[in-house]
Amino acid sequence: MKDKMKKIADFVRQNCSADDFTLRIFHNHDLYSRFAQNGITQHIDGKNLQINLEVAFDNKTGTALVNQNDEASLERLIKTAEEMAKLNKPDPEFMPSEPEHKLPKLTPPATATRNLTVEKMVDGIEKCVKNAEKKSAKISGLSHKQINQYYMETKNGFNGYDELGSFSHSMTMKKGGRETKVERSCKDFAQFSMEENLQQLNQQFDSLQEPKQIKYEKMPVIMRPQAFLKWIFYLIWTYQRREADEGMNPYTDKIGKKFFGEKFSLRSVIDNPALHTPRFDQYGLPTKHIDWIEKGVIKNMQADRYYAKQKNIEPASIYNVVIDGGNTSEEEMMQKVGRGIILNSLWYIRPVDMKAGEWTGLTRDGVLYFEDGKVKKAVTNFRWNEILHDATKRILALGPAQQIEYMAQIPTVLIDDFNFVDVTTF
Amino acid sequence: MKYLELALDTAKSLGADYADIRIQKSQTEHIYLRNMSLKDTSLNQLHGYGIRIFKKGAWGFAHSNIFSEDAVVKTVKRAYAIAEQSARIKHGSGLQLATERSYIDSYKTPYCIDPFKVPLSQKVELMMEVNRTMLNYADIKMALFTLESRKDEKLFGSTLGTRLNLETVYIEPMFMATAVTAEDSQSRTYSAGGQAVGWEYIQNLNLIEKAEKIAEEAIMKVKADSLGPEKRRTLILDPFHMALTMHESVGHPTELDRVLGWEADYAGISFATPEKLGKFHYGSKIVNFVADNLLERGLATAGYDDDGVPNQKWYIVKDGILNEYGTTRATAPFIDQKMSRGCNRATNYYDFPINRIPNLYLEPGKEELSPQQLIADTKDGIYIEGRGSFSIDQHRINFQFGGDMFWEIKNGKKIRPLKKVLYKSNNPEFWNSVDAICDKRFFQTFGVTNCGKGQPSQRGRMTHGGATARFRNIRVGGSQ
Repeated sequence: MKDKMKKIADFVRQNCSADDFTLRIFHNHDLYSRFAQNGITQHIDGKNLQINLEVAFDNKTGTALVNQNDEASLERLIKTAEEMAKLNKPDPEFMPSEPEHKLPKLTPPATATRNLTVEKMVDGIEKCVKNAEKKSAKISGLSHKQINQYYMETKNGFNGYDELGSFSHSMTMKKGGRETKVERSCKDFAQFSMEENLQQLNQQFDSLQEPKQIKYEKMPVIMRPQAFLKWIFYLIWTYQRREADEGMNPYTDKIGKKFFGEKFSLRSVIDNPALHTPRFDQYGLPTKHIDWIEKGVIKNMQADRYYAKQKNIEPASIYNVVIDGGNTSEEEMMQKVGRGIILNSLWYIRPVDMKAGEWTGLTRDGVLYFEDGKVKKAVTNFRWNEILHDATKRILALGPAQQIEYMAQIPTVLIDDFNFVDVTTF
Repeated sequence: MKYLELALDTAKSLGADYADIRIQKSQTEHIYLRNMSLKDTSLNQLHGYGIRIFKKGAWGFAHSNIFSEDAVVKTVKRAYAIAEQSARIKHGSGLQLATERSYIDSYKTPYCIDPFKVPLSQKVELMMEVNRTMLNYADIKMALFTLESRKDEKLFGSTLGTRLNLETVYIEPMFMATAVTAEDSQSRTYSAGGQAVGWEYIQNLNLIEKAEKIAEEAIMKVKADSLGPEKRRTLILDPFHMALTMHESVGHPTELDRVLGWEADYAGISFATPEKLGKFHYGSKIVNFVADNLLERGLATAGYDDDGVPNQKWYIVKDGILNEYGTTRATAPFIDQKMSRGCNRATNYYDFPINRIPNLYLEPGKEELSPQQLIADTKDGIYIEGRGSFSIDQHRINFQFGGDMFWEIKNGKKIRPLKKVLYKSNNPEFWNSVDAICDKRFFQTFGVTNCGKGQPSQRGRMTHGGATARFRNIRVGGSQ
């Protein structure tokens, strides 16, 4: 495919008359096996090609995308992008395309991931279904293999190619009111163990009984990695330097200051082979190690190239998530606070107030109540309304950071006085 | 058309119990303007085909963007091989498909001016004028405008003999003004969602007047008081706000695939289980929810669904009682429904069709009642306009919603703007608390173009509607 991508680039380079261009070519091969209630409900195999061309005449821009690579389609792609740019209004924030950059080494997808077949994926699902049947439960989930290739070229000399292979598997087991989930993704399928994941699913499932409703109130929570990560994704969305400077998010005038809790550090790293690290960003800038938050202090924020130039800072975006962990076990966390809630996951997180940094959401996939340092019972789900940066100031302890996704390494966290505002009926 | 026949002939020769092919060309134009800077001006075209094979009670699906006889045959064979693998782990004795007959038909969204034929410069000029209008207010620090137009041309064929030629179009303008003070930042948005119409819709919207109102209300909102502690209050909700509440608390719970647990791992399941049909008091007696895939300007109005089932109209909730679901050919047999209601839709050619919410609206009240009369009849309450924060549990029972603009009502009058208002409620409390709905003169629709569902996630679309309605005794309060 790489050769085909280069051929497309040759054609665009020879035929595009714009002052500037950025060409991005994506090729994905995905296998999806979706199962529910102990049977496969949906099963997909397909390859996708997307050719995206962004051109500029002076500072007037236009973008087009096609998914065919014959000459007629490529000619149409160029013509469409160029016509759009010519008809467009000047963009006062236009930035020229990137020149050549020295890029980190390419890491091709792992052989086991590349060679994973439909039959093997169905074998895995069969194990999940048999496991659920033994517990007279129903299991639903998704197995997904992806092999992505990406090529980018600019008029100003940038040329880059990257690949990603990954396997992800999620499964929810349910029987009556007992419901729990495990989800994992990794770059190398050889590192994935269905047995280990089923063991964890069974442990979670066995710890739950028919949930009882308890009163909602502020309580300490032990938030397992999957739950914490879901919330962190929303932090990434709003962690923008420009919006901070313009007064539209909670980080206004907080850059360089301690705004998060002392125990909270977040970074993107290039030296962990198990984590996905793209070689370059959407403009062609090489990926670098970035400390975003260090012991609660805001070190760097995301910024696009235009705004970074205005502020004399480096453009940056969060490409993977590493949150520093500690060495406290769940048992020690329970003993530390005596009474509280253990959360497996969070659900339907949405902003309540962007300026305040307040979010709402629910708990999901199994909630446990503990007292006197021990788990007492499964309880029904809660709604919570919380300010994320304030919650990090109430982190009392951290577990070891775990890699639960190919994009993230994150610990279990113990947060004091978590603001539950409602309780559900299940 | 030759590839369509080739695919179906190949599927039959392989021994498929049923097969269909969807050849789909989708064009999307997206323009995004932020503070007079064009962040995106793009025209995307995706062209390809998806082939579904049904064999031994299980599905296989494969797709391709390569149009050649060889590629079509290979894609059919891949879909067939996948169906055989799926059949290794099937539901009981396997899925069944609801009865359907064949159709030879075509459908086209009615419009006068094709949005793709309107020059880009004309669109951008209008958007810039709207942006400029909002930025003319000193307290407005950010003005956004996004304009999306989409056209889907589909050829559908099935081994039942159905041959369909379908073309749908929609336009979605959305703009937002953000006011910033030293202490706070608040936004106000204009959006009626997507509408299945031509460019003539935009011409008649009077966007500049709307931009002035949005900017002024954003400034009012940022300087407004918060509501204070939560207590039980009366709510009056406008149609654009209710579009979201009905989408989340009525639309999703009545998708039959969710009811059956097919979304258990991701989007969740539903409390509205089949034994509740015909019995469950979903709402008060004046609450009627109509599923209507024949609705004019409706985003799910497409002639037929991706099972080749014609668009229909039926009651989801009738006189307050749960009446029926939205179904597909594969889900309907699970509740002994002989025919599908035609809710199986895919977004792009490479997507597997899934059970979707139909166009769904709250039937207007039968007696004459205007929003002004409803406010005049309310002693103490909160009036909410537009969409804001929204979150609902995975069984679709408990929820919390915000809004875009809030007004306090005292003694029949809107007395002051508010900000940071939230309400919490649940099914069946919420829709059973409705005691008044304005009449059909005030009916308005909102087209949802970003309904996330499925794995891989698809961005589905459907239209909701209603007239302003009143809800009694709901938990309403300010955020932290």
